[in-house]
Amino acid sequence: MSIAGHSQAMFFQARATAQVRNAGLQKTLKKVRPLFVAKRAKGVVGLVEDGFDIEELRGACAAIRRRVVDDLDVWLEIFEERASASGAEVLWARDGGEVARLVVDIAQRHGVTKAVKSKSMLSEEARLNEALSAAGICPVETDLGEYIVQLAGETPSHIIAPAVHKTIGEVESLFAEAHQRPLQERSSADIPAMAAEARAVLRQHFLSAEMGISGANFLIAESGSAALVTNEGNGRMVTTMPRVHVVITGIEKIVPTLEDFSTLMRLLPRSATGQSISNYVSLLTGARGANESDGPEKTVFILVDNGRAALAGSDFAEMLRCIRCGACMNHCPVYFSLGGHAYGWVYPGPMGSVLTPLYTGVENALDLPHASTGCNQCGSVCPVNIPLPALMHRLREIQNERGLRPWGERLALRAWAWLAGRPGLYRWVSRRIARYLRWLADDSGRIRVFGLAPGWTEGRDLTPPPGPTFHELYAARKRA
Amino acid sequence: MRLALYVTCLVDLMRPAVGFAALRLLEGAGCEVVVPPGQTCCGQPAWSAGNRNLARDLAKKAIAELEPFDYVVIPSGSCADHIRNVYPQLLADDAAWAARAAAVAGRSYELSRFLDEILNLAELPVEFSGRVTYHDSCKGLRGLGVKREPRALLSRVRGLTLTEMQDCEECCGFGGAFAVRFGEVSTAIVDRKCEAIAASGADAVVGGDLGCLLNIEGRLRRRGDTRTQVLHLAEALAGTEPA
Repeated sequence: MSIAGHSQAMFFQARATAQVRNAGLQKTLKKVRPLFVAKRAKGVVGLVEDGFDIEELRGACAAIRRRVVDDLDVWLEIFEERASASGAEVLWARDGGEVARLVVDIAQRHGVTKAVKSKSMLSEEARLNEALSAAGICPVETDLGEYIVQLAGETPSHIIAPAVHKTIGEVESLFAEAHQRPLQERSSADIPAMAAEARAVLRQHFLSAEMGISGANFLIAESGSAALVTNEGNGRMVTTMPRVHVVITGIEKIVPTLEDFSTLMRLLPRSATGQSISNYVSLLTGARGANESDGPEKTVFILVDNGRAALAGSDFAEMLRCIRCGACMNHCPVYFSLGGHAYGWVYPGPMGSVLTPLYTGVENALDLPHASTGCNQCGSVCPVNIPLPALMHRLREIQNERGLRPWGERLALRAWAWLAGRPGLYRWVSRRIARYLRWLADDSGRIRVFGLAPGWTEGRDLTPPPGPTFHELYAARKRA
Repeated sequence: MRLALYVTCLVDLMRPAVGFAALRLLEGAGCEVVVPPGQTCCGQPAWSAGNRNLARDLAKKAIAELEPFDYVVIPSGSCADHIRNVYPQLLADDAAWAARAAAVAGRSYELSRFLDEILNLAELPVEFSGRVTYHDSCKGLRGLGVKREPRALLSRVRGLTLTEMQDCEECCGFGGAFAVRFGEVSTAIVDRKCEAIAASGADAVVGGDLGCLLNIEGRLRRRGDTRTQVLHLAEALAGTEPA
């Protein structure tokens, strides 16, 4: 199936409306949003206390990523050579379908019946769990949030907090059913107990799985390593306990050196969760050596394009700098009014509004570049200075250039611009609009239904102009 | 100094008092203020919609009208950001216009910055008895860095107490066409702003962009709040009399 085939991004408008009206979801989002924002703010304060300049660091992180994106092919070759030299196999996948085929093939060759997974958004691009299940291989998500989402038969609604849309009651129902126990009354005080319950179940999966599948936060070119940044410890189990470890990651995830990695690590956890460092940071190099007692017998890197290579050197190259911290969505007023599922594909929020059209087709996600107030709260927190609103804006231009905007909108815009180019006529029309708006107002002096822009008056009144336009009054003043 | 007041299309149509308040402030400080008669709209709606050609045409029109002046003053962070930051990039590849765009951009100021930084305005002609909270509109704040200026000016109004709301830098959900295209989403966002305003206990919310203010006012009124005044900074500094 094509990528666009599993994207629901064309239905953003309808999905967004449904999510805004979902009272339970709204309650959850309202509770979570200030936490995300406060955590990053605290992380930044910590940096400043340690004597760092946040803007300087953002610049340094952006420069590291830019250096890679500018010469992606060179860095990939270096990585492939070093990773192979350390005993890993490096494979390449053009798209999500090829990722799925490669992973299933590796699993079958190694007699795998169960694969434990640590968090990977790329595996969502590839719809890997579906492909594994179809091949008779049981995929088990082991990140707590991903585990919840898998039990619910859903997709992640946030790139670092996949189950952020779930209430504790919903999680309890899922656990009771999956773990075959009676339903209990739960409050937030029970979260540690519920996590322990999931942990006990997952432990059995870690011990029995023949294959571990992880993503990588970064690929380090100089050492041929995958860097994994996690908080729950599941990433270590996934990457070290099973016989086979498969790393699937986008080709843009390279950083040149370990030093560069440590620079990026100053901002990644702080931008994501406000932590000065995540609970676990793993550097995984090669497979188990001859004299080593643990680690996988076989390590395979699958480096995935799926639309990325086409962005290098394009108007959207800056997007390849993204390190998937989630800060853009955590600070997005639109994301936190909707949750992630409204966006319809793998990546939500501002970075999703850029990536989804680029990876699934501009014509298949027409609303997303417009699902922004242009506030730039995202761009101002991005650890690698991606100008997200500018990229959304460029996508809007491309929609126009390709004639993808509705004709009514194009006509209205042209008519308005034509008028705005003719001041005399513009004044005449403005005066009539002012009068019309005053006529629309009710007894209390407000417009409650405005047929020309019903979206405005669904939830808001409109205060009509008090009388003549500024230019009318000003002309009268000058005459007096 | 001879300056152009670019009143903006929204002020022209929806709230002329903002333009006259700006005029009083600038003329009161001794400036020779001209309102270029041909002005309509800076073209930002076309640019936001992704129509570069229409945005370019309107940018050229505005540049031609504004370039004879020492300064251009705009009572809107959003339009000022468009003229200062977008015009130069919009016309960068047009040999005849690039330099003209850059020149006008460099002389264009958002109202509060001009009053505070260029005019060092200390005396204000009004009194305001009550508490005021300031909403930082996105383009003014994140596009132009306007943050200190409006607060400094408000602090010089006799009787006015500034009380900050929670998350004053959060977007109000306006976003131009966004507010109409995604009406319910926009309403959900402005609801949070209204809650913050209510919690601040302010008698008036003040901002530098009429778009945000119409959005905030519209939602406050729909929620049943008829008490909280919604004022443009110019009105808070120079009164709401039209003309």
